[in-house]
Amino acid sequence: MDAFQHLMAGLGAAMSPGNLMFAFAGCMLGTLIGLLPGLGPAAGTAILIPLTFSLDATGAIIMLCAIYYGAMYGGTITSVLINVPGEAASVITCIDGYAMARQGRAGSALAIAAIGSFVGGTIATLALVVVAIPLAQLALKFGPAEFFGLMVAGLCLVIGLAGKNLMAALLMTVLGLLLAMIGLDPVRGAPRFTFGFPELYDGVGFVPVVMGLFGIGELLLAAERREARMIEADLKKWNPTREEWRASAGAIGRGTVVGFVLGLIPGVGSIVPTFMAYVLEKRMSKTPERFGNGAIEGVASAETANNAYANAAMVPLLALGVPSSPTIAVLMGAFIVNGITPGPFLFTERPELVWTVIASFFVGNAILLVLNLPLVGLWAKLLKIPFSYMCAGVLIFCVIGAYGLKQSLFDVWIMLGFGILGYLLRKLDLPLAPAILALILGPMMERSLRTTLEISAGSFAIFLDRPLALALLAVPVIVLGFMLLKPRAFAPVRQADAE
Amino acid sequence: MPSGARQGWLIATGIMLALCLFAVWQSSLLPLTDKLGPGPGFFPFWLSLIGAAFSVALLISVWRAPADPPDTEPILPRGYGARRIGAIIGTLAVTTLLMEVLGFQLAMLGFNIVLLVALGERRWITIGLFAVAGSFGVYYVFTRWLDVLLPAGLLGL
Repeated sequence: MDAFQHLMAGLGAAMSPGNLMFAFAGCMLGTLIGLLPGLGPAAGTAILIPLTFSLDATGAIIMLCAIYYGAMYGGTITSVLINVPGEAASVITCIDGYAMARQGRAGSALAIAAIGSFVGGTIATLALVVVAIPLAQLALKFGPAEFFGLMVAGLCLVIGLAGKNLMAALLMTVLGLLLAMIGLDPVRGAPRFTFGFPELYDGVGFVPVVMGLFGIGELLLAAERREARMIEADLKKWNPTREEWRASAGAIGRGTVVGFVLGLIPGVGSIVPTFMAYVLEKRMSKTPERFGNGAIEGVASAETANNAYANAAMVPLLALGVPSSPTIAVLMGAFIVNGITPGPFLFTERPELVWTVIASFFVGNAILLVLNLPLVGLWAKLLKIPFSYMCAGVLIFCVIGAYGLKQSLFDVWIMLGFGILGYLLRKLDLPLAPAILALILGPMMERSLRTTLEISAGSFAIFLDRPLALALLAVPVIVLGFMLLKPRAFAPVRQADAE
Repeated sequence: MPSGARQGWLIATGIMLALCLFAVWQSSLLPLTDKLGPGPGFFPFWLSLIGAAFSVALLISVWRAPADPPDTEPILPRGYGARRIGAIIGTLAVTTLLMEVLGFQLAMLGFNIVLLVALGERRWITIGLFAVAGSFGVYYVFTRWLDVLLPAGLLGL
């Protein structure tokens, strides 16, 4: 079967009533999480993992993926109506979206964001179908040495682009890798850093850690701020005018390309594509002075790039097993919790699952469009929920998520501890992305390296005999070396990502 | 390093250095190599050694950075923010302590009421409804519909 036939079969499965319901529920919950200021897609996906404990693997992954891209759209609503991005990628949308809302054009801004997100997400998923199989087939030729090189390369790209201080990003990576070392040694089974706690033999649970770092950490940060006021917008008139359609069409096309291409590169955070698409649109405009004062192209380009990125970022995960951002790392954790290891073998061993999940992206994008245009007024009303109730609700989910996986209150303490750590790291502007990616890639990296060295009887010279592994290991050397020698070359991207 | 965060970064880097050195010591107690090649201590030993080197490098660069301006806003919150953060951490910690004894439902009922009041809510009927839904209601949904086991406590609630 070729990719198209697989996709058609997947579409049939994704359209089954059960899977449709999971996609619908995921889109609703994701949008809801995305529009709660302070909670991004990573936190949202982590917090809602307990809802999927009793589902079959396909349903669970469909729902979590829908939560992810639902949250990416949900952030737009707060950006437009209260000038507070629901998640980092919506920062750029605040600029023109909020200006449009103040001019009484909030409905148009939200509608064009929903349409742009749909177009960007759908085209990016089509491109994913084309790219994923050749990439997975290439990865099937990889041995442990190549996988080690691939994971080091992916991690180093994240380190290189995360935050403003390279040394701090490296240190956070070491922290993540050290946390991944806790538990039984993956090859010999010897306990490491367990200090007599049997609860630590399985390692530090990924779910409590991400719930703490993202869910509790972001909540504590939001608790510190005073609540923002919402603009009373007329959301009954959401259909954009003919001029607005004309202005947005090109921006949506260009935003799709920018979002998809940047989504394929590990380490490019979700804000970078929106920033790049916005800057590109402003530079191409004959009237750049309108940007910042309610230019609908600004909203269209950023939101399209945002959703195209979200779908493209699934390519490295599904085809190579390498997460390219913290949210994708959370999704990878959810795959693993459900007994699925993302990567090239997924396409040969579980084709029915992977193609149903990919097909569900089309379904999810369509549901988001149908859901968001008529329901925008309802979402706006939800923004009026006081922070205290939102906070209590999120914490209930966090406790259930941390406890529910292993029925262990020890994991609730782990979550609380990592919540405080996540809050402090954010306050100090230390990057979390490298730590979380290192935590999930750590055991796989160690296993690949040790298997490689066992093959070579402990000699590192084996990497010299494997050109692909050597080439992959050269990527971090080049990237990190270039960054140390020419730090200004990456400054705009890192600055955008850090902000 | 963000402006005004020098002291915070010095403390964080110092803690990371101590953590890495501790990990070097702990992993040196495990076999670094064995008959098949690298042993259980191999990866964490070299990793923590590299981490210690990064920590020293970062510590030196932060040490050389200009001191924080006197009017710098403190990293840790004060007043309004500190009270709210303290309420969240405190109620969550006490609830976790009590959950084994009281069970999920009673512990969460108390958690919801105390947290909402601590965060400034005063509409008692809404608080009560939310607290019941967020404890007994959530317990029912997760245990009956979603098959998630939650602590029942000594009273079996």
